Amino acid sequence: MTPPAASAVHRDPLAETPLILGHPSDLQVNDALLKPILDPNRGWKVLAGLAAAGTGLLVLGITVTLARGIGMWGNNQPVGWGYGIINFVWWIGIGHAGTLISAILLLFQQKWRTSINRFAEAMTIFAVMQAGLFPLIHTGRPWLAIYWLFPYPNTMGIWPNFKSPLIWDVFAVSTYFTISLLFWFIGLIPDLAALRDSATSRVQRMAYGVFALGWRGSARHWHHYKIAYLILAALSTPLVLSVHSIVSFDFAVSQLPGWHTTIFPPYFVAGAVLSGFAMVLTLMIPTRKAFRFENLVTERHLENMAKVMLVTSMIVSYGYLLENFMAWYGGSAYEAHLFFKTRLTGPYAPIYFMMIAFNVLVPQTFWWKRARTSLTWLFIASILVNVGMWAERFVIIVVSLHRDFLPSSWGMFFPTWVDWSIYIGTISFFSLLFLLFLRFVPSVAISEVKELNHEMRHGQAGTGGHA
Amino acid sequence: MPSMKTLPILQDHGQPQRLSGKPGQRSLWQSIQELEGRSSGRAGEFAAGAAEVPPELSRRSFLQILGASAALAGLGACQPPREKIVPYVKDPKEDRPGKRFHYATALALDGYATGLVLAASDGRPVKVEGNPLHPTNQGASSAWDQAALLDLYDPQRAKGIWRRGQPLSWRGFLAEVQKLARAHDADGGAKLAFLVAPDASPLLAELRRRLSTRFPRARFLAWAPATADHAAEGARIAFGRPVDMHLRLDPARVLLSLDADFLAGHGESLRLTREFARHREPGAEMNRLYVAEAAMTVTGAAADHRLRMRPSEVAGFARAVAAHLGALPGAEALEDPARDRAARVVAADLARNRGRSVVTAGERQPAAVHALAHAMNAALGNVGTTVVYTKPVLGDATPTAAALAELAKAIQAGQVDTLVVTAWNPVYAAPAGLDLGALLAKVPNAIYHSLRDDETSRRCSWRVAASHPFESWGDARARDGSVSLVQPVIAPLYESVNAADLFAAFLEQGDKGAFQHLRDYWQARSGLQGQAFQARWEGWLTRGLVPGTAEPADGPALNAAAVAAAARSPAPKGEGLELALAPSYGVFDGRFATNAWLQELPDPITKVTWDNPAYLSEATARRLGLADGQVATLTLQGRSVQAPVAVMPGHADDCVTLALGYGRSDGSATSKGVGVDAYELRTAPDAWFAVGLGVAPGKGKHKFAVTQGHLSMEGRPLALDFDAQEWAHGHGGHELEAQRGPVPSAQPPVDYSKEDYKWGMSVDLSRCTGCNACVVACQEENNIPVVGAEQVAKGRNMAWLRIDRYFAGPAADPQTVGQPVMCQHCETAPCEYVCPVNATVHSPEGLNEMVYNRCVGTRYCSNNCPYKVRRFNFLDWRGEVPAVQTMLFNPDVTVRSRGVMEKCTYCVQRIERARIDARVAGKKIEFVQSACQQACPAEAIVFGNLNDKASKVARLQEDARRYDLLHDLGTRPRTTYLARIRNPNPDLA
Amino acid sequence: MSALFSPRWNFLSRLSLVVVAAGAVGTLVALWGYWRTPYGERLQEEVVQPVMFDHRHHVVDDLVDCRYCHFNVERGASAGIPSTEMCLNCHSQIWNKSPKLEKVRESYFIGTPIEWVRVHQVPAFAYFNHSIHVAKGIGCVTCHGRVDKMPAVTKVASLTMSWCLECHRNPAPNLRPADQITSMAWEPPSDPAARAALAAELMKKNDVQSRVSCTTCHR
Repeated sequence: MTPPAASAVHRDPLAETPLILGHPSDLQVNDALLKPILDPNRGWKVLAGLAAAGTGLLVLGITVTLARGIGMWGNNQPVGWGYGIINFVWWIGIGHAGTLISAILLLFQQKWRTSINRFAEAMTIFAVMQAGLFPLIHTGRPWLAIYWLFPYPNTMGIWPNFKSPLIWDVFAVSTYFTISLLFWFIGLIPDLAALRDSATSRVQRMAYGVFALGWRGSARHWHHYKIAYLILAALSTPLVLSVHSIVSFDFAVSQLPGWHTTIFPPYFVAGAVLSGFAMVLTLMIPTRKAFRFENLVTERHLENMAKVMLVTSMIVSYGYLLENFMAWYGGSAYEAHLFFKTRLTGPYAPIYFMMIAFNVLVPQTFWWKRARTSLTWLFIASILVNVGMWAERFVIIVVSLHRDFLPSSWGMFFPTWVDWSIYIGTISFFSLLFLLFLRFVPSVAISEVKELNHEMRHGQAGTGGHA
Repeated sequence: MPSMKTLPILQDHGQPQRLSGKPGQRSLWQSIQELEGRSSGRAGEFAAGAAEVPPELSRRSFLQILGASAALAGLGACQPPREKIVPYVKDPKEDRPGKRFHYATALALDGYATGLVLAASDGRPVKVEGNPLHPTNQGASSAWDQAALLDLYDPQRAKGIWRRGQPLSWRGFLAEVQKLARAHDADGGAKLAFLVAPDASPLLAELRRRLSTRFPRARFLAWAPATADHAAEGARIAFGRPVDMHLRLDPARVLLSLDADFLAGHGESLRLTREFARHREPGAEMNRLYVAEAAMTVTGAAADHRLRMRPSEVAGFARAVAAHLGALPGAEALEDPARDRAARVVAADLARNRGRSVVTAGERQPAAVHALAHAMNAALGNVGTTVVYTKPVLGDATPTAAALAELAKAIQAGQVDTLVVTAWNPVYAAPAGLDLGALLAKVPNAIYHSLRDDETSRRCSWRVAASHPFESWGDARARDGSVSLVQPVIAPLYESVNAADLFAAFLEQGDKGAFQHLRDYWQARSGLQGQAFQARWEGWLTRGLVPGTAEPADGPALNAAAVAAAARSPAPKGEGLELALAPSYGVFDGRFATNAWLQELPDPITKVTWDNPAYLSEATARRLGLADGQVATLTLQGRSVQAPVAVMPGHADDCVTLALGYGRSDGSATSKGVGVDAYELRTAPDAWFAVGLGVAPGKGKHKFAVTQGHLSMEGRPLALDFDAQEWAHGHGGHELEAQRGPVPSAQPPVDYSKEDYKWGMSVDLSRCTGCNACVVACQEENNIPVVGAEQVAKGRNMAWLRIDRYFAGPAADPQTVGQPVMCQHCETAPCEYVCPVNATVHSPEGLNEMVYNRCVGTRYCSNNCPYKVRRFNFLDWRGEVPAVQTMLFNPDVTVRSRGVMEKCTYCVQRIERARIDARVAGKKIEFVQSACQQACPAEAIVFGNLNDKASKVARLQEDARRYDLLHDLGTRPRTTYLARIRNPNPDLA
Repeated sequence: MSALFSPRWNFLSRLSLVVVAAGAVGTLVALWGYWRTPYGERLQEEVVQPVMFDHRHHVVDDLVDCRYCHFNVERGASAGIPSTEMCLNCHSQIWNKSPKLEKVRESYFIGTPIEWVRVHQVPAFAYFNHSIHVAKGIGCVTCHGRVDKMPAVTKVASLTMSWCLECHRNPAPNLRPADQITSMAWEPPSDPAARAALAAELMKKNDVQSRVSCTTCHR
């Protein structure tokens, strides 16, 4: 139990820096957090414009794919899955940090989460939205896939194949998306109310009012709110683990060297969290600067995230290690060839080494406090990790497929302009949604920050649990 | 028998139009079995089904083209439009909706016929099969025979009769020809010339005879790009007269091929492949094949010892062997000690097998080598046992390389007013330097009779569209002389003329019709009348064969001195590399360049499609500083072409091999600008190889569309082969043990023994030569689309059945194995459990079923298939299919739409047809063949019911050589392989 | 500050929630149901044929057996639609002046086929074969209904895959004796025991199998 931040003048050297600097009043907190919404700046418009343009690429790419067929992508025999599934897994992975931060850290009473959870949840939802595109558009006949994948009594008298991991995906991803969305929205309600009350124009007040669901902050409201929030937190906690485990089954359940691996579920989840936190940092660092959230999103937050990344990166590295060990220990010539020949010396070897460098080595710098606290490095590192995680999926999918059992059917995969425009398109669409979020919704949970603020004033909770 | 009646022909827009003439009758089988039971079916009418678009056709094909949208007719697009049912006006006597009929006919290539059986459904031929009764192919068929069907329905075929750009009616044409003919009567046809394609047709020979009686001074020249001059000349040297040499491989134990690709190409290769393959199983009966050649051929790949040497060196090698055999006085040692030793060993091996050996020389080798081969066979006492001589079958239409030069001379001298060309595309394929195009333009009436408009038709004042063999009456002879009657299975799809009618036109009998000519000729020849002849005639048509027409053997006397003298002719010397030309396995001499199936057919050795690379050995490429795919300038005697080079494993050094038939400047979209025109470098004296080739590395890089990019097995147990010796000592046996038998598995294997049928297949790698017949047969049977070079290069080739080719050993002189791979129908199929919509599932009989209409195209099954035999419709490969081409589709097989996965089904449509026929008759299935099995000349593919212990496939699955591909994965494939056995000579190890 | 929303908004908000939810579910249910309605299945839909052919008359009054015109039903996949020639087998003698048959005579003499409109149509990827069904004891009525009561033929069975499967999974109840295949009036014995016995007997006699593997119909 460290002393309250109030006595920061002569602090215990062991005490961590407080989660909120200075002693802002509720009003100050409000203003600080609502300012970006109530008066926008020019930079936002420019960025939003760029993102919107990029989203155009996405629309184009999807239209071409639907009109002409998957042949417009680089996919072929033997590489049946390419960018489509790579992006799918990548985005789903990114979509993990949010729920993790909100739910699990909430359940673990990690106070430091408060200033970043809103942010992370939003990111989660937008990421999952990107991911959700791919399972559909990557099929040859989406117009049929869209309803044949759902079990309903049809005139054909047949059901989907529940043995197929792709069916599990459908349920896992849609559930995850729904829960995250609810979770996020519930958390928003009090702040939406705050917005409603401080909004200037009637239109804004109406708009926020509708979504605030008539929140008046009465004790009863708060009571229900807390319960709902906790329940959802409890619900989404297992999902964090389940979703990516199930996504990993898409590969683990098959018998292809490089896919057929029991380590996949934990390794995928860890990887997901790693990329998720990386993405939060990538977005948080500039936002924090632009919106002057330094007091609320303190260095300690960033540092804690860096620590989480270090841990997850170690788990991922262990996954890599074990894969190779099993390839050797298992004694299958095909496995051995993939891990010790194709990956290391094959045509896609650079991507493999990029993956090692970015996912294993880069996070190792976080052993040093200087690395954890240097904004620039954190930012660069977070981006490198994201690239690395994308490379990981490339290695798993393309590299495993392009050289499997019969050398006669070995082939190469070359992405086409459609592949690229869809990939860039999703990134833009993601950014667009995110910018809109920053613009129209408080990006930090005001109510929770206030709450924390009070707790700190009155000496409860103190600087919160340890990250 | 119905008398003359008018019958309709189908224009390419599908509307019936009437054309008089061409009456007919033809005889049919209900099925292959019945044929083998020797029962003659009843005579029927002409293919009346061609008149209307048959209901089956519209029902099956048209809708299937719109498959996707039909499937879409769910949300929004309420109801599909109601179809029309178009019944016959008058019932054709024999035709019934959906019923398969089989008609025996024949197809000639460069004069030599293969006996075929055409399967027709609703009046349209939909599948080509070999005629089991025919001696030269015994039920097998080649890729070219199969692909002929695509030509039949090609919308770009030549149509109608044109004179100087003006269309002529058939009658109008007859009138015009009559005028011409009468004009030529004056001087006995001195200014009349015929350039005919090689043929052995008795009818055409008869017509030509009558023509030469009417026009005694008319010129008759026969020509084809791939002439057999050398063989004929060789025989003339050895025996003083041309004779045909026939091999009998059944008794042969040791075979020496001097650059002869007798297992592929045309002529008798189907029969030879069958006889050769029959003796590739381990044991005393097993034969041994030595091949001396430059580029690796199908025959070379099947050899036990492949002695790679430049074409010009073969003569020397032959001399050496002959000398050791005592067939040639004065043994001379070869410079190359290894080759000298090889010559001794081969000679010794041949000598050990007197009367049971064969020496054969390739068409591309000079006459001297052929003469030597004759001498060696004589010395070995093979004549009469493994080698049989007959009188030449081709007769007056024997093609000669000199023909064109003679014609050119005559035209220059202005001695040709009327020229009738039935030979294939001389302008394109003429030897370089002989500008035939310009000359033909000089001929006032150059009448070109061709299936397609090509380089030649542009230069000729008259263009007469030729009827496809499947549309015309006629006769043809196989290489052994047996005559087959050629009967049409469909009325001409376009207004076109049959060769017999064309010749008859000059006899002013054009309106009589080929059918009448044919029948009269054979009636006269049979000496029978009325019913007696009718019965005989129908018998011939039914069996597709006129009995007793094979040429009898004759024993020409060998003139050893002449051979010795000829053999002394020195090998061509010269600076620089050697250029070897060869017919392509796909487009032959170019006449199949417009056939998309054959263009996309992978080369049996290098798996290149849509191209003819300049092949050379790795060492030579390195020496010349050439990289694979780099464009180089080949210069020979001042003429040069730009060609991309490719390294071929086992190619002879200092030699470049280029396939003929590509780089067409005309023809169709399929042929235009595909590959390089090798005829540019081909001169009359050096038709097949020439010394003094200059190769200059160029700038450009070319990407070949190959279906297999990786030629090494990476030490994996895939296409297994063993030496006969080690096999005899039981080695390899236990190696195979590891590749078969039960695999430990969590779930107990399904018990199929209770079922009536348990379908399975066996593929014998020892028999397979990789000739590609099965590949095209599969494509034809299963409506498999063509995707084009660009998509093949992207790895989107659609072939359900591919032949993998692996090389082992030194790249300079490797061993090679071919392995046909199709869906293995795993009992525990990795593709099945991953499909989210149950589009691929297992049948109670163990078939791995693929349900196109359920597939949504996740491609997960393909990813999880260790054999990578699944094929995905990445784009809409069909596009707008012309009505006439929809007639090509097999009505029993769904035409797949975009976004759907497909794969080998074990020809389930054949199984189901057999099942329904059997069950309606209250019987069990007695006979069903897969398309690949039926086509295979080597009998390497065997399909059948594993629960029937007596069946061949069941026995083969117990064979000592049996193993499963990727056995350790525990997929329990139903397709199993028999390991290849080589029979190398220990003395040459 | 004044209340942003008046009390009635509570009602509105609740209503809107209901509407959205009901709308979403309703649309799906409607689509799902549509294909099960006679309209969706195109049952009893009037089809105008080029010639007003009356099965009722030919079957009941003239006692023409189905197989006289649908000659191929026992031998092939398609039951066979009679050629014009076949119509004239009789109508060259009777009603040979009838204006109703003008089209038929025209077709015969000019040689242009009559284009009938298809009533019973399975998708192109479903390979239905009449002969095997008839051989195993499935009557015409089972799929085509009481054609003898139809002035113009209409569809009575949905012909959806699940409809086919019902019988393919359990053919017994739909079997009838070989001599009753084309009979319109035949009914199985009313006594359940007798019916079951007959079904069992026919199953055995005709060696009827329940064939539900995909390639039975899709190739």
